[in-house]
Amino acid sequence: MTTLLSARRLTRSYQNGKGIHEVSVDVEPGELIAVMGPNGSGKSTLLRILGTAATPSSGEVSWFGRTDFRDPSVRRRLGVVLDQAAHFEDMTAYQNAWFFARQFGLPPRTAAERLEDSLRWAGLWEARHQLVREYSLGMRRKLSLVEAFVHRPQILLLDEPTLGLDYRAELALIERLQVLSLTGTGIVIATNDVHLAERLCHRVLLLHEGRVIKEGRVASLLTELAGVKELELRMLSPIELDGIRRLPEVEAVSAEADSVHVLLKRGANPAQVLAVLNGTADLVSAMRVRQPNLGDLFLKLTGVSLRLEAAAE
Amino acid sequence: MTGHGLAATVWQRELLEFAQRRRALVIKLIFPLVVGLPLLFSRAPSVYAAMALTMLATMIGAVGSGAVLTRERLTGLNVRYRLLPRRPAALLCERLAVSAAIDLMQLSPILILLAIRHPSRWPYWPALLIGTAAVLAMTNVLGAWASTLTTSPGEVMLVVLLPVLPALFLSGVFTTPASPAWRAIANVLPFTYLHDALLGALFAAPRLSALMDLGGATVFVLVAGLCAMLLARHVLETD
Repeated sequence: MTTLLSARRLTRSYQNGKGIHEVSVDVEPGELIAVMGPNGSGKSTLLRILGTAATPSSGEVSWFGRTDFRDPSVRRRLGVVLDQAAHFEDMTAYQNAWFFARQFGLPPRTAAERLEDSLRWAGLWEARHQLVREYSLGMRRKLSLVEAFVHRPQILLLDEPTLGLDYRAELALIERLQVLSLTGTGIVIATNDVHLAERLCHRVLLLHEGRVIKEGRVASLLTELAGVKELELRMLSPIELDGIRRLPEVEAVSAEADSVHVLLKRGANPAQVLAVLNGTADLVSAMRVRQPNLGDLFLKLTGVSLRLEAAAE
Repeated sequence: MTGHGLAATVWQRELLEFAQRRRALVIKLIFPLVVGLPLLFSRAPSVYAAMALTMLATMIGAVGSGAVLTRERLTGLNVRYRLLPRRPAALLCERLAVSAAIDLMQLSPILILLAIRHPSRWPYWPALLIGTAAVLAMTNVLGAWASTLTTSPGEVMLVVLLPVLPALFLSGVFTTPASPAWRAIANVLPFTYLHDALLGALFAAPRLSALMDLGGATVFVLVAGLCAMLLARHVLETD
């Protein structure tokens, strides 16, 4: 099996201090990889470099064994959706998709057949003659996906692919990505959606402040949290968290607008947390204990909530 | 263009978008006529008419591509272009060539009216056509370079004017080059040949022959292509 993409010790720094540092990743045929991290962790920078939209300050990437990122034969085999869903606004969706399909080498008949199939799949067929400037964010994102899929690339690089999609479209996308993976397409997704990553991906890269802090298969990463539980408290108003943080049974704590997530160590009793709340317990409107996910692993490793940052995005 | 308004290539796409934006199309075609008609059909001195028309061609060429490329950088479209399976040099050359061709289309009514107005000056027509193309090609390249320095389409005009105004002066557009050194400098600037051909076509006193104007302009069409190739990576890969 030939590695589709191999990136070694990629570094790219920006003046604001953000970027990526010494990131390495290989993409094998059929592999689905999630790059996860909070806002500003370097996910988009990594995807831009892997997608040939940006160059690293140091390090090397090879696509299909070639290192020239400007090589048209490399770009023809990549499908890239970046964070900005940029299109030609004064052209219709079909005109946009047709242009990209033809630029990526599809003959007219094949382009027409595949575009009809893809635009129907995306639910855009009826609106195909509408100008893109009249499209909603979700429709633009779907059009970007159509344009990335239509030439059947060997590597797909998708930045937040479910952003702006409704639930039905998200399910359709997951199904499509699973099929593409089975047919040998290597797929890299930058996302904050832990459920998407756990449900879809084989391997996960956790990025924090531009560095890979954890990498591995989803199942093996989750075994690191075996026995650990997450206690989620829905709050009527914010509470002081220091008391909870000081509990020896508590691994990490994060707070969102109306909820508190407490990661409990193996064998810890959730009731101990409630006991610390003392007089503020009546502020808890709901609580549940659930199995931890990749977001909790990130919280455990960094003390930063993936969810909180995702919400801020 | 393929089928019903579908573009398969970059030049087709540019033309398709140009044709589809009807309001912009009408304004673009009327604008040169508004400036040019009074100059051609009034008693305006030929030297002023030649000066104004040279400046008109310069501005149309520079601002158009510069503003478009800046806007594309801001909206992320330049990244979409960057990801196309094309070499940057070929891509930018094609884009700027079609942009210059559209600009030439804009200016062609003026050139036709000028030929109709002064039919006996036909020896200058080839130089006029190629001289206009040379200025448009060079200024489109200049606009592309300016787009890498600006953060809004409106700034392009300011950046472009910085090198263009002294170059127009040195080309002898505002006043005839007085010394041999100045004339030598003028000979290596693209505006000289269009301006000189305009002077010839408008019954003023050109400094060069029609053939020299044609030769100089042809060289600058080629120079523009070379500059576009050299600038391509910088223009297309600047975020």
